[in-house]
Amino acid sequence: MNEPIQPGAEQVLAQARDLRWKISGNLHERLLEGIYTEASRLAERAVSRPDSPPRFDLDRTIDRLVTSRIWGFPIMLLLFTLIFWITISGANIPSGWIAHLLLDKLHPLLKNLAANSILPVWIQGLLVDGMYLSTAWVVSVMLPPMAIFFPLFTLLEDFGYLPRVAFNLDRVFKRTGAHGRQALSMMMGFGCNAAGVIATRIIDSPRERLIAIITNNFALCNGRWPTQILLATLFVGALVPAELAGLISALTVVGVALLGVLLTFLVNWFLSRTWLKGEVSTFSLELPPYRPPRILQTIYTSVIDRTIFVLWRAVVFALPAGAVIWLAANIDIGGLSVAEHLIDILNPIGLFLGLNGVILVAYIVAIPANEIVIPTILMLTVLLTGINSVGSGAGVMFELESNQATLGVLQAGGWTLLTAVNMMLFSLIHNPCSTTLFTIFKETGSKKWTILSAALPLAMGFIVTFLVAHLWRLIAAIT
Amino acid sequence: MNAEMNSIQPVLITIGVALLFIVLLWPKSGLLPRLRKTRQYTERIQIEDTLKHIHSREMEAQQSTLQSIAGVLQTSTNHAGDILAKMEAVVLLNYEEERLIYTPKGERAALHNLRAHRLWERYLADETGFGEAEWHDLAEEREHFLSAEDIDLLSERLGHPTHDPHGDPIPDAAGEYVSHGGKPLPSYESGTRLRIVHVEDEPGMIYAQLVAEGLYPGMQVQIIEKSHERIRFWADGDEHILAPIVAHNLSVIPEPDEKANAAPYSCQTLACLELGEQGVVLGISPACRGAERRRLFDLGVLQGATVQAEYRSPSGDPTAYRIRDALIALRKEQADYIFIEKVPKVSHERA
Repeated sequence: MNEPIQPGAEQVLAQARDLRWKISGNLHERLLEGIYTEASRLAERAVSRPDSPPRFDLDRTIDRLVTSRIWGFPIMLLLFTLIFWITISGANIPSGWIAHLLLDKLHPLLKNLAANSILPVWIQGLLVDGMYLSTAWVVSVMLPPMAIFFPLFTLLEDFGYLPRVAFNLDRVFKRTGAHGRQALSMMMGFGCNAAGVIATRIIDSPRERLIAIITNNFALCNGRWPTQILLATLFVGALVPAELAGLISALTVVGVALLGVLLTFLVNWFLSRTWLKGEVSTFSLELPPYRPPRILQTIYTSVIDRTIFVLWRAVVFALPAGAVIWLAANIDIGGLSVAEHLIDILNPIGLFLGLNGVILVAYIVAIPANEIVIPTILMLTVLLTGINSVGSGAGVMFELESNQATLGVLQAGGWTLLTAVNMMLFSLIHNPCSTTLFTIFKETGSKKWTILSAALPLAMGFIVTFLVAHLWRLIAAIT
Repeated sequence: MNAEMNSIQPVLITIGVALLFIVLLWPKSGLLPRLRKTRQYTERIQIEDTLKHIHSREMEAQQSTLQSIAGVLQTSTNHAGDILAKMEAVVLLNYEEERLIYTPKGERAALHNLRAHRLWERYLADETGFGEAEWHDLAEEREHFLSAEDIDLLSERLGHPTHDPHGDPIPDAAGEYVSHGGKPLPSYESGTRLRIVHVEDEPGMIYAQLVAEGLYPGMQVQIIEKSHERIRFWADGDEHILAPIVAHNLSVIPEPDEKANAAPYSCQTLACLELGEQGVVLGISPACRGAERRRLFDLGVLQGATVQAEYRSPSGDPTAYRIRDALIALRKEQADYIFIEKVPKVSHERA
């Protein structure tokens, strides 16, 4: 590099070409490292730190405890059990209130109002029994658990505990090719998959983030818990003596949720070795200092950011779904409603899978929100079997007061234990609701990944129910 | 009886369908992935591969023969002969005095291909998560699908790199390049301070062994002991023992950087810090590239920074390190990229 620099553009260029090979290596990277090092040197020189004696470090004490070999996992388990318990048991009461207000009080009122108006009867039905009712349903089932779950979760986040959960669980997720932070988006998914998908923003590596987005569906969301609880109580709990029924049905639901976690790991593993192979992956996890949670602010932001946001999307999707359900049950073609035609077409496939046509139709029209699956099934079953005395007319969703009555309707619809088990499995595995899919599209900006997120679980749902149904029938035939 | 038949059949069908899916779709070894691969080998690709082969032979001052070409293309000598005839017809090749050489047009095409291949490898190494062992094969497939403009764009996007991740120079747009100038490791004497400039990626078996040893271009090396059976050396603080034939695939040059000689050879990585111990960062291994390397810079893992190991996850990995007053969890593989020098533990109080 001691050659004299010669004038003339040609020579300069020639020398640049020459030097390029002499310097070689990762020039850019070395420059970058140089800049960073210089910046940190300057900062070191310019920033003075008070010579404070080491304070009694509360953070270290907490960290020693929550990441300890003995206490780390039990503390984690205890906290999350507590949150789920508060959510599920605490949500029942306000859910009842809202349902009472929106369904028992406001619905008849609106119906009355519509009946006295000049609107044609079919528009009255479409608006009040279709769109209003399904939306009211979604709101009453969805709002209270989310309004409890998200603030609790955000408080833990605010306190600084959640990164420690990722820290504790990273190894498990790493084995399946994912990031420890996926534990958090999965937990969030137990509240709502759409919120869980948004929560994957905390994962900065694109590959691990996509994995977390696609597998979030297997975290049993709020809209599906009630289905699981109802079916476990009606069909599984009924198999054992009454005093054990509660415990067994609770364990069944927990088992289904754990199966979801297992499927998450399985699909993580599969995706990271096939379609997502080669995507960039990085890991680093900041463990911020603990802070006293700002309770009011937390409640405000989690209500606004998560609950209202997710709820709004759900409402946007539930309105048209209500209309579709009502129309399907009320438009007649050749003496049968569209819904009945559809059920007839899908029944053979449904029965083959150990489900039935009603369930498949309910899942098609209830893509917008899992909350309305059970009411839709009840409505369609009544429509089909022609049981009088329950429900309030074609295309009107309802829920029955007693479990016994629900069981009666389902059994009249031809349900067996197999149907219930497969329905629980299908409810766990099948494609995410349209709100979640829309969120996935927003987050990934890719049609390809959105389609994969819908198609992969759907295919898995069909395969699993198919296998269970046939094994079941095989065992039944042998014994 | 009838019911039994009815229920066994679907199960058998299911198992059959599942097996069929596995046979057809299993990544890499399934029928469909294989079929796709063979279909890609069109004539054009065979021509390009032939040119590349002739080029690499030329570099080694060796002759290309009909047999060697048939071997590279994995085809019969008859078919290889057909291809050579076609190449001669479009003036890519000539026979001069019984020797097979390429024309200037052929040489340009060969360099174009070489440039595409090495840029792809650079891209795969820096911007994707594929492992070392996969770069070569993937680049081998993809190099055939780039126009000259595509290649320039790729080069620009990567910041016009000069070398591929194995240390081979990437020809510039004019087809010019300067060899890395390294000699095989066994040709040096014990004690010399050396730097790896090239890790040969063919044959795959030997390359896999070098990758497993964690050897990369850019590492500092010093031979400890050399015999006919084995060669023992330090590379960035770790001791390695290789058979000479394997070590032959490592090209090295005498350490060019005077300052680098000051670095201690017995350096350790962050992963060997016990909880509570402190270390000073010496640098990040060249094996840590792209997004991951930049992320470590962002976190302040830079020469001279002090790092202390604080907690370990109850499942054993990752470990939380205190870096510039922040607590950062790193996995073991990452911690292994970061070279440090342990410092005796000092208390936080200052006088």
